[in-house]
Formats: sequence, C-alpha cells, structure tokens
Amino acid sequence: MSVVELVAPPGESLVVQRPSLARFWNLILIPTLVIGSACIVALGANGYWISSLTSAAAIALAASGAGLLYGQLGLVSLCQYSLLGVGGWVALRLGFAFELAFEVNLLAAGLVSAGVGLLCGLPALRLRGLYLALVTLMLAGGFQVVINACGFPDGGPGFLGRADATPRIMMARPAIALSNQGYFIYSSVVLSLGLMIVELHRRTKPGRAWALIRAGETTALAAGVNLVRYKAWAFSLAGFLAGVAGALLAGNVGQLDGRAFPASESLSLFALTVVGGVYNWIGAVFTGLLLRAVVSLLTDLRVDGNIAMALFGAALLHSLIVAPSGIAGLIVGLFDRISSRIVNRQP
Amino acid sequence: MLVTCTAAAIWLSAGSGVQAQTIRCGMNNGQKATGVPINIGGIVSKTGPDDFSASAGAAEAYFKCVNQNGGINGRPINYSVGDDRWNPETATQLRAKLVDDQKVVAMVGSSSFAECAANAKAYEASNVVVIAGVGVPRECFTSKNYAPLNAGPRLSTVAAAQHLNERDGAKSFVCISLNIPNFGAWACDGIDVWAKANGLKSTTILIDPGSSDANSTILQAAALKPDAIVFCLSKSVIVSLLVAAEQQGIVDKIKFGSGAAAYASDLPAAIGPAWNKKFLTNMEFQAIDSTAPDNKNWLAIMDKYADASVSRDTFSQGGYLAARLATETLLKLDPAKIDRDTVSDALRKVSKFESDILCTSWYFGADAARHNANSVLRTSIVDENAWKVVSPCTKVVDPELADIRAYEQKSGMDR
Amino acid sequence: MLLSFIVSGLGVGAVYALSGVGLVVLYRATGVLNFAFGATGALGAFCAHTVATAGYPVVAAWMTALVVATASSYFYGRVIAPSLSTRDLVVRAVGTLGFALILLGFIGWAWGDTPRRLSLPTDGIYFDLFGTRLTMTRILALALVFGMVAGINFMLSRTRLGLEMRSLADNRGLSAILGIRVVSVEASAWIISGISAGICGVLLANLVRLQGLQLTFLVIPAIAAAILGGLSSLVATAAAGVAIGIVEACLSIWPAVAPYRTATPFVVALIAVAVMGATANRRILTR
Repeated sequence: MSVVELVAPPGESLVVQRPSLARFWNLILIPTLVIGSACIVALGANGYWISSLTSAAAIALAASGAGLLYGQLGLVSLCQYSLLGVGGWVALRLGFAFELAFEVNLLAAGLVSAGVGLLCGLPALRLRGLYLALVTLMLAGGFQVVINACGFPDGGPGFLGRADATPRIMMARPAIALSNQGYFIYSSVVLSLGLMIVELHRRTKPGRAWALIRAGETTALAAGVNLVRYKAWAFSLAGFLAGVAGALLAGNVGQLDGRAFPASESLSLFALTVVGGVYNWIGAVFTGLLLRAVVSLLTDLRVDGNIAMALFGAALLHSLIVAPSGIAGLIVGLFDRISSRIVNRQP
Repeated sequence: MLVTCTAAAIWLSAGSGVQAQTIRCGMNNGQKATGVPINIGGIVSKTGPDDFSASAGAAEAYFKCVNQNGGINGRPINYSVGDDRWNPETATQLRAKLVDDQKVVAMVGSSSFAECAANAKAYEASNVVVIAGVGVPRECFTSKNYAPLNAGPRLSTVAAAQHLNERDGAKSFVCISLNIPNFGAWACDGIDVWAKANGLKSTTILIDPGSSDANSTILQAAALKPDAIVFCLSKSVIVSLLVAAEQQGIVDKIKFGSGAAAYASDLPAAIGPAWNKKFLTNMEFQAIDSTAPDNKNWLAIMDKYADASVSRDTFSQGGYLAARLATETLLKLDPAKIDRDTVSDALRKVSKFESDILCTSWYFGADAARHNANSVLRTSIVDENAWKVVSPCTKVVDPELADIRAYEQKSGMDR
Repeated sequence: MLLSFIVSGLGVGAVYALSGVGLVVLYRATGVLNFAFGATGALGAFCAHTVATAGYPVVAAWMTALVVATASSYFYGRVIAPSLSTRDLVVRAVGTLGFALILLGFIGWAWGDTPRRLSLPTDGIYFDLFGTRLTMTRILALALVFGMVAGINFMLSRTRLGLEMRSLADNRGLSAILGIRVVSVEASAWIISGISAGICGVLLANLVRLQGLQLTFLVIPAIAAAILGGLSSLVATAAAGVAIGIVEACLSIWPAVAPYRTATPFVVALIAVAVMGATANRRILTR
C-alpha cells in the first residue's frame, strides 16, 4: 500500500490511498468460505439437508443477481425467480434434446436468461424505483400463466418437450457430480464462481459506473458513462446468474414443475434478498439459507405450513425494520466494530 | 375398596372387550407393541391450493391403532409424514429424508400433487414401493413403484361423463379442468377419447388455476350448447363455477357432474339448495356415511386415534386402505426379516386386497409397468345438503386403460 | 355473443377496478403500495362468513368484515409502517408483503380449506342482458367503484385532510416541519384503506371465491390496473380495471387464446408501459 502526501492547506493533512490488489481480497475469501463450508457440511449432513442446502445454493446465486441490481443500481427486479424458471426450462430442454455436458447446459441456460433479463431491463432505461418493480412484477405474472400452461420439458417430443404417455425422465447430473454430496459441492463451486463474478464487477469499471449511475444519471452522463450499456450489462448479468441458478435447481430435483413459479415467489425472493443484505456477497448466501434451509427446518420440525408462512412474514417485517442493510450488514458491521476495537487498542 | 376395584376392573375389561369388537386393526390383541420400530413414511401436499393431508392422517391413526394392538408381530410402526407444500423441491428433500436418512421400508398413505413426478425414478432406484392413499397427476399412475388406492382424476371424470350418458342420455359434453398438462388436460382427454369412440361430442375448456372469472368460463361452456358439463377441478373452484352457473340460470338447462374432488361432505351445503338433485359427483371409494363394516371400522379408528381436525373425506378413506393393506402385508412377513427388499417384494405380490370401501378387490400388479387397480366406481347426487349414492359400482371404460385391462385379463383379475 | 362476454367481463372488471383503486388510494395518501390489501379484505370476508353462518343477521356480518379489516389495516399503519417510513418505496411495499403473509398464514390455519360460499342478498336480483345475466352484486360492485373514486377524489382534492395526505405522501419530513400531524394523518389514510379493503373483501369473496390464497394474490393483476392509472389517477385506474376485465372475458371466445386469458392484465400493463415509455412522461416514470 503506497501513501502519497499532497501539498495541503495549513492545519490539514490530506492522505490519498491508491487502490491496490487488496481490494480483491474477497475473491479469495469467497471460494474459501463457500466451498470450504460446503465440504465440511457435506461430510456430516444427512440426505434431507444436503438436498435443501443444494437448493439454497441455487437460490443464493439467483439472489446475488437481484441483490446486484438493487444494491449497486437501486433497480428492483421482481421477476428474478421467473428468470430462474426460464434458465431451468432451457437447461431441461437442452439436456433432454442433446447429450451435451451439464456445464454446456448451465452456460446456455445462463445466456438465454441473460437475454431475457436484458429484455426485462428494457423498461429500466426509462423507469426507476417502484414503477420498474411493478413492471417486472407484471412480467413475472405473465410468466406464471405461460409456464403453467406449457409445463417444463420432461423428455417428450416437440418444442415444449413434454412427455404425455411415458414416465418423466429426470435431467442428468454432471458426470463429476452424480451423488447428492458431489452435486452439493458442485453447486457450491458454481455459487462461489457466480459470487466472484459479481464481486469482480463491483471492484472494477462496471462497479464504478454503476455507483455513478446510482449517484445521479446526469452526473454519470457528464462523466462519460454510457448509461444504456451499463444498465443493460447489469440486467444481463442478473439474468445470467438466475439462469445458471435455474439449471442447478433443475439438476438437483431432476425436473421442475410449472406450479412452483408463481409471481409471489419472485416477490419473496426480492424480499428475502433485502433481508439477507444487498451490499455484501454474504447477503446472497443468507438469502438462500433463509428461503430454503429455514423453510426446510420448519418442515422438518413438522410446523404447520400456515404457521410457518405467518412466522416467515413476521420475520421478514422484523428484519426490514431492525436491519436496513440486511443480516449481512449486521454481521459485517459487527466484524468492523470488533476489528476497529482491536485496531484502536494497539498503541 | 376391593369390591370397587374389582367392579372397575370388570367394567374396564368389558369396555376394552367392546372396543376389540368395533375396531379391527393389525393383530387385534390389545397389547402395546414394544419391539424394534419399523420405519414407514408418507408425503402429502397440505399447504397450498388444496389440502390432501387427510390421507396421511388416516394412515397415522391406523398405525397408532396397530401399535396399540400388538404391532407387527410385536414391532411398532414408526410413521413419519412430510408436507411438501405442493413443491417438487420439497418433495425431493422429504424423500431424501425418509428414504435415505430414515431408511423407511415403504411409503404408505401418500397423497401429493408434486411428488409422483419428482420422486418416481428415485423410488425405483432405491427399491421402495409406494402404496399411496390418493394419486393425483398422471405420473402417479404411470410409475413402476407407485400404486395409489384411488382411481385417479381421469377415470373419475370419465366415469361421471359415462353416468350422465347412461342415466340422463347426455350426448355432448364440455369438460372443464385446470390448464395443467399432466392433470387437467390428461383428465379431460379421457372424456374426449371415450366420446370419439362412442360417437358422442366432447369439447375441453382449460382454465388457469389462478383465474378469477368463473362467469365467463360458464358462459363459454354454455355457448357450446352441451347436454352436460363435467368438472375436473378442486373443490373451491367447483363451488365458484356452480355459483356462476346458478346465477346465469342454467341449472336446469344443462346437466352438471364432476370427478371425485367434489365428493366432500361440506360441498352440498356450500353450493346451496338450488343444486338439490342436480349436481352429481363420481366417488372413488364408498360413501362416507355408509354402514358397511370396513367403512364403519375406518370411521371408528378415526374417531379413536385421529385428531378432530383430520377431515373424514375420501382422501382419508384412501389413507386408511393403504395403511390396512401395508399392515396386513407386513404381518405375513417374518418379523426379524422386515427390510426394504422383503417388504417391497411382498407389497408387489398383493393381489386380492378386499374392502367394502372399494368396489372390487385391489391388486398391485407385480410385473406391470404401471398401476391403476381401482377402476370400478360409484356416483352420488346432491340431496338435501348431503350426498346420496345413485349408482351401483360401474366399470369405467377408458381406452387408455387398455394395457391395464389386458394385464387384468391375463392375471385372472377380471373386473 | 361478444356482447354477452362484455357484460360478463364487467364482473371481473369490477374486481380488478376495486382492488386497483384500493391500492392507489393508499399509495396517494401514504406512499405505500399495500400488498396486504387483498389479505386484509380476505380476513374481513372470512370473519363475515363465520358470523353469518353462526346465525347472526347479515348486517352484523358486514360490520364484522369492516371492523376486522379496518382494525388490521390500522394496526399495520400505526404500529409497523412508521418504522419503515424512512426507507424507499419498494422496501415499504415489501413490508406490506410480510404483513400479507402473516394474514394469509393465519387465515389458512384458522379456516382451513373447507369450500365456502359468501352470499349477498343482491345475488338473487339480476337483469338479462344480451343473453347473459348481470346480477345486482356486480352492478353494486361497479357502483361502488364509481363511489370510491368520486368520494376519495373529493376528499383528496377538497378537504384539509386530503391536502395533508397528499403533502405527506410527497415529502414526509417537510410535512412534519410544516406542522402536519404526521402520525394521525397517516393513521386516517390507513383507516380509509382498511374500510375500502373490508368492503372490497366481501365483494371479491362473493364475485371470485372465498379462498385466502386467491384473494391475497389478486393484488398482482390489480397492480396492472394501477400501472395503467400511472399510480396516481383513480379514474384511470378504475377505467383500466374494467377494461382489462372486459378484454379478459372476451378472450374466451377464441379457444386458442382462452386458456391464457388470465395473463391479460399483465400483457395490457406491459403494452401500456411500452407506449407510455415511448411518450416519455417524466413525472410518472421517475417515481
């Protein structure tokens, strides 16, 4: 770290720190923490929890996209879960039609969802805030009707790929991760790659451009930022992450069901993303855990589904009120306070 | 003191003697089972658009009764149920918990919308047989290891249409169902195929599950000028469509019928007096208030061992039958050798399970690729805020059942 | 044929218009988009049904619906909403989603899934129009839409309370400095929203069905009507709601499109946004 002292007015000293490679520290922390804890959990957890946590990893990936849009740009996308459905659809269709590697299906799902996410983002070029949120909610509502009617592919013929007379085929898992534990670790690897991509964006030029756009579009324009390109980039990235998450989910269960993609799921995903925390990568992980692991815990404890829903709503309200930066914000704040105490103690 | 105690003892034993007469389950010996528990699982769809959980509720009650009456040759049954909340992800997790973690020997009393498709392959791979109380979508009737006790929405809806054709001479039908490929489209397709094969007319109207416009759906159906309208929908949607039909004044102009989902004891009161003797429903099992012995046994077991909140409906009947079948099969096995393979083997060999709740005996069909043994059904009509049975057990004619009928003929289980 | 579906569409149009107007009313007065509008109404409707089946007079049932809906709306507005008042609009809307989940969970737990029918005395009176029947209940719903729009427009534009509400929705901090009693004005807004939710709840339970899940997430298509009204004009919202309902009903005529007609609110809203975006109305778009 180099420190440069500038010539300053009397009575003041100005210290400028040049950004260094230390700001990429998270790129090492993320895979270590995520994959490391996944391996530890995979050793001890039973089948129920491995399955739940694999779903949680996929949801966390989708949440990182939603969190990126909201945290970096202040744009609300209430169709992220529908984009997850689009990605799942593409992965299933390609998986049944061709004998390609799972990774190819993953990437294809991500790319198609990125394209659809970009289309969803077209209104964003003019809209902001609540209005944009509601428009994306309309997209989610439309997707709900369409996917209910079309259903997800399950090995049948035709474009929709639905088998009506034969038993449903399950999507094949990646060759290196056929077992449940293996697939869980695979999902956590994909999750950490996704989180690293987001983190890389935040620390380099796109992140700076997004910060400037958030500060004020006129300011950004004056600074020479291409508004359309960077907004489109953000939406595409969010869509890509959702698509990959959908493919992971499809691989986990082996198939997806049209009734599991109502617009209310996108609402819940956004709400829990805010609760998890949008300003830090670990917020997305918390979102995944909240949306899947906590729910699995309640199911495991045989808590009545309706009571679980009410508890969920209460917890959502409580977190929104008490923790504006989300759970991640609370934890990061805690770490900062502890580390500053330690730093201050040093002479 | 001694006299009181003796009197009390005689009264108590007389009481338990009376109970042993009216309730039959398992070994019927009144002894609590205390051996090594046998793990059995069940998955139901409870929280969501509809509640199917009464099936597992009945199975749980039956197994409790069995545990109080000698268990399975001394071994109690440890029954675990999960609510998959209509979500295939959750269904997969529950299957991992029950099959992989708890190592259940069989799945009994399931009734789920989401789990058949999600878990069928996994059950095959781990050699777990599922005796479901109620199966709903198509995958429950086209899987190798999955055998529901009920007939399924397709057969039930077709049976309603066939009854309307035979009793009321209806020649043109409109089938209204949900726009879900493996449920609504599949069920109404049954009427379509049957109608074509018999020179009748049939049109299908599929509606979105979230639709708020019952009136337009009824108008759309009535505009086709059918003799009869048949539903394959959930109870609450049926109520809203019947209300719309009543408000449009077509109660007397068109005949109305439904698959077995409408056969709920609270539905006649909900739809009101305008439908007296005008709305009929197919039933997959015996009438709920029937006094036939096994039906009475079911009600008695529910009263004694089940919570009052568990609905006494057709799902419950299915769960009771599944649990009874599983218990009787397990009792024939060597108690020291009850594991997944022996249980699956024994369940597959079930070929003449009799009950007056069913119209004919039920069989699994060991080497069949799919299982749909319950295909002889009754019909009821609304009568003064309750249901009244109006037809004897009738065989359903569905061209899609050809493979099942061929199997039945080959194995000497003609219906 | 088309005419009979247009008449039929008035029913579901009234449903969308009522919910849409209810949403926009509260939004204009407090800046909160209330996702719990449907759930609050549903709670009132379920309580009304329980009271009516217990044998009490119908009027008592309606009063119950109003009281329950208003009480829960007031509770949220007075106790919970102020804690979120400094956050942005979307977060405040998400807060109401949490409340909706609480209500929905409670309804599911308390009333289960027994099929129920909420009848109103106006169900039996009808008019024959173009080969279909228009029940008095639907006419009542439409009349209520007009009444609500007119009444609330009058209140917002001609009364002191309405002025204070609009000021509050625009800028809470400045309004407080000006001496507007923030808490009591907001409470009034939530009470008005609660009353309209109670009325709408009973009507929707009758027109659609008495089921918690359906009534709660009816807000999503209702938002389409609100978008077409620009989240500000009550008249436009009501008109949009009725129009969407009519279009949705008329699509029943074409069998290829008919199963997808529940997507009408969403498609219409998206087309409208595309058109409005092209005409670049800055005030609406940057809210």
